[in-house]
Amino acid sequence: MRDEHAAEHAGKDWLWLAVLPLILFGYLLWEISRTPLPWQFQLEWVPSLELGIDLYVDGLSAQFLLLITGIGTMVLVYASGYMAHDRQAGRFYKLLLLFMVAMIGAVSADHMLVLFLCWELTSLVSFFLVGFKYTDEQARASARTALFITMGGGLALLGGLILLSQIAGTWSLQGVIAAGAGLHDDPRLPAALTLLFIGCFTKSAQFPFHFWLPNAMTAPTPASAYLHSATMVKLGVYLLARLDPAFNELLFWEITLIAVGTITATWAAVLALRERDLKRILARSTVSALGTLVLLIGLPGESSSLAVVAFLYAHALYKAPLFFVAGSIDHATGTRSIDHLRGLRRQMPFTAAAAMIASLSMAGLPLSFGYVAKSVASVAKAESELMALAGYGLLLVNAIAVAVAAVAAIRVFWGPANQAFDQVREVSWRMVLPPLLIAIIALEFEFIPTFADPVLVDAARAISTSNSFTPSFAEPQAGTMITVAEITLLIGVLLFVFWERLHRFLERFSILERFSCAGFFDRLLKGLPRLAAWHTRLLQHGRLDSYMRVTLLAMLGIASGAWLVIEPGWPGMPGDLGGWRDQAWSLGAAAVLIMAGALAAPFMHNRMALLMSIGLVGYGSAVLFLFAGAPDVAFTQFMVETVLVVVAVTVLTRYGVPIRYTEPRVRNALIAVAAGAGTFILLLQMFSLPADLGMPLWFAEKSLPEAYGQNVVNVILVDFRALDTFGEIVVVAFSAIAAWPLLRRKRKHGSNG
Amino acid sequence: MTERPLLLEYTARMVYWLMIAVSLWILLRGHNAPGGGFIAGLVAVAATSLMAIVYGCDRAQRAMPLAPLPLTGFGILLALASGVPALFSGQPFLTHAWWNIDLGFTTYKLSTVLAFDVGVYAAVWGAFSLYLLALLNDEGDTA
Repeated sequence: MRDEHAAEHAGKDWLWLAVLPLILFGYLLWEISRTPLPWQFQLEWVPSLELGIDLYVDGLSAQFLLLITGIGTMVLVYASGYMAHDRQAGRFYKLLLLFMVAMIGAVSADHMLVLFLCWELTSLVSFFLVGFKYTDEQARASARTALFITMGGGLALLGGLILLSQIAGTWSLQGVIAAGAGLHDDPRLPAALTLLFIGCFTKSAQFPFHFWLPNAMTAPTPASAYLHSATMVKLGVYLLARLDPAFNELLFWEITLIAVGTITATWAAVLALRERDLKRILARSTVSALGTLVLLIGLPGESSSLAVVAFLYAHALYKAPLFFVAGSIDHATGTRSIDHLRGLRRQMPFTAAAAMIASLSMAGLPLSFGYVAKSVASVAKAESELMALAGYGLLLVNAIAVAVAAVAAIRVFWGPANQAFDQVREVSWRMVLPPLLIAIIALEFEFIPTFADPVLVDAARAISTSNSFTPSFAEPQAGTMITVAEITLLIGVLLFVFWERLHRFLERFSILERFSCAGFFDRLLKGLPRLAAWHTRLLQHGRLDSYMRVTLLAMLGIASGAWLVIEPGWPGMPGDLGGWRDQAWSLGAAAVLIMAGALAAPFMHNRMALLMSIGLVGYGSAVLFLFAGAPDVAFTQFMVETVLVVVAVTVLTRYGVPIRYTEPRVRNALIAVAAGAGTFILLLQMFSLPADLGMPLWFAEKSLPEAYGQNVVNVILVDFRALDTFGEIVVVAFSAIAAWPLLRRKRKHGSNG
Repeated sequence: MTERPLLLEYTARMVYWLMIAVSLWILLRGHNAPGGGFIAGLVAVAATSLMAIVYGCDRAQRAMPLAPLPLTGFGILLALASGVPALFSGQPFLTHAWWNIDLGFTTYKLSTVLAFDVGVYAAVWGAFSLYLLALLNDEGDTA
């Protein structure tokens, strides 16, 4: 990609775009210091559907907005270096900006449908970014997986939100939270919450939907850092945190979040040990961190909300730089495999520095923001009794985080240099500045807490239950937590030291791949077309007579089933035959015509004669209609029958269909007789019901005075029910337009042969 | 079709126009007597099929006011348009309006119903002719 030919076509410099989120970021900071949260904003959109662009920005939203615009600025700066030689850079920036808008909408929306729309938009953009290198089969498959999982989850989310709005009687998220415990007894709530969980868990890559995120690493690294680590995948966490005040007293809510969070965090951390690709290692650890966040949300108690926001910030601020670092290394050396990457600190000193600082935070070592986050989290865990088992899991998770941080910072940059990378040079300032800056800012938060504290405290207050809650970052007391931190660190270091051996050990469990969720999903996707092909072959075989048989038998089955279940017994003859009796002779004649045609049909060996006898049935019916007081219907029947017979005969002769009819006639005749008898019984049943003459009388009465027509049938067609008629002619037109190309092609083949 | 019955060949054209005339008559009388756009459209289709069988599809198509596809589109658009005036007077879509036009010797009743019914007529004629001509076509395209 980086040859001269590509450079010739290198895109424009898009660095200036970074100014947009930067301005927004600065404005937000300024506004936060000036106007107390929450801010509200309402714009009418579709008032009849109660759909409006209602925005509500409280502490949690503000925290997300700062992350989105702040990290967004850095991502755009980084991308201007990373994509400098990519002809597709323009497309990339468009997607990033679109994503930014969607993300801003999602975290500031108060109307649940607006939230949903933005949420889906982020999934869609994510799909395009994961499949950005669309010439790569692997990228396309990953993009498809991501789309299936997140969009499928989006559907569940939509269902959940609709149910929730019906339970709470409002579309407003704040309204739902305000209703709070009042919703707990609604029988629909478990269903609503289950759907919500599916939506949030798919988005935030929780077990068992976790596998799409590591695969999504086919996206360009700036996108991975932004979407698949710092912001988008946290949307699920965001919504759960947002709704936590309303539901955290529910055992169902608590247990689900804690269980899923713990399983995800632990499982993803273990899987991280199996990866060799630096970016995938980071992705696994992101999943693990998301699991931790879900777990923290599930924890009861006041300090858990502080832990959530602190860890959320900390993770975004160390994981984004680490992704940037991985991207820079990939960019400079052409590989991301930790097998080859060694001693890069000489060639890439600034990147190494950024990695070191960010890793400190990830490992939760003192002097880093990660340390603060970790200590708050341990306070939260200490408060909960449910934590006994989860605690041990999290110990492992944190230890592996330490090991992963060490891999990213130490293993890659220290140790003996790899001769292959002698020519490697430090990447341009655009790719050095963002990771370094974010990492240093994160460090800053520990030393000068006045910057971060107000925002975090506001955010924590937004997702805590009690209004009087005043969170604070008190220094953790010495005691158990410190000991736990030390143990974690120790295990982490051990893991790092034995990384190779552990890796080889885990490698042996190739069974994990076959029975993993990803493998299952893969088989599901492959099985789906096979199922479709199978049942299409079974049902859509193209044999018209067989379709007819199946249709008739199905009709018969349903009708007789209904007859037996609902009203078994022989329906009586309709009592009032009044007007019919006067027409006995004419109706009798029509009946003779129909029966003659019907009785003759099974004995016809000649298709032409068969058509004629069927035509006779049609004409007989027309006569019947004529004398039974429906001249319009009779008229139509005559015309349809005529055109049908003429066309059928012409087509039969022109397409060279054998004139002799050789279908199994006894079976067909039996089915036809049975279907006819069934219809007859149904009709008798219908007649035995009391007829509601309200509508016919109304039509007859209003036809002349209101629609100025004496022919009631036609007045109904063109006036009273004109919309139905319109629909019908559209259907007729579309069926003709759809059939026309098929018929034309068929004819061409025929004329060639 | 190379061989055609002589009688058919000479009378078909006449019968065709007669049928079209009848179909128009059925169309116009529909509001007060059996008839209407749908039936009239079917009569016209029968006329077109007669043309197509006797003289071939090209000629049948040329005898139509528009080619089948545009005719269908015209019909649907006309029916659609007939419902629009109601919207301007705040009534539901497809509420028909009537105007009495004084011609001196008689008053002619003009209404959007007529436009709607003509639309149905054209759509039915066009759509079924599309089927018909595609089925019967020997060479060339219909559209």
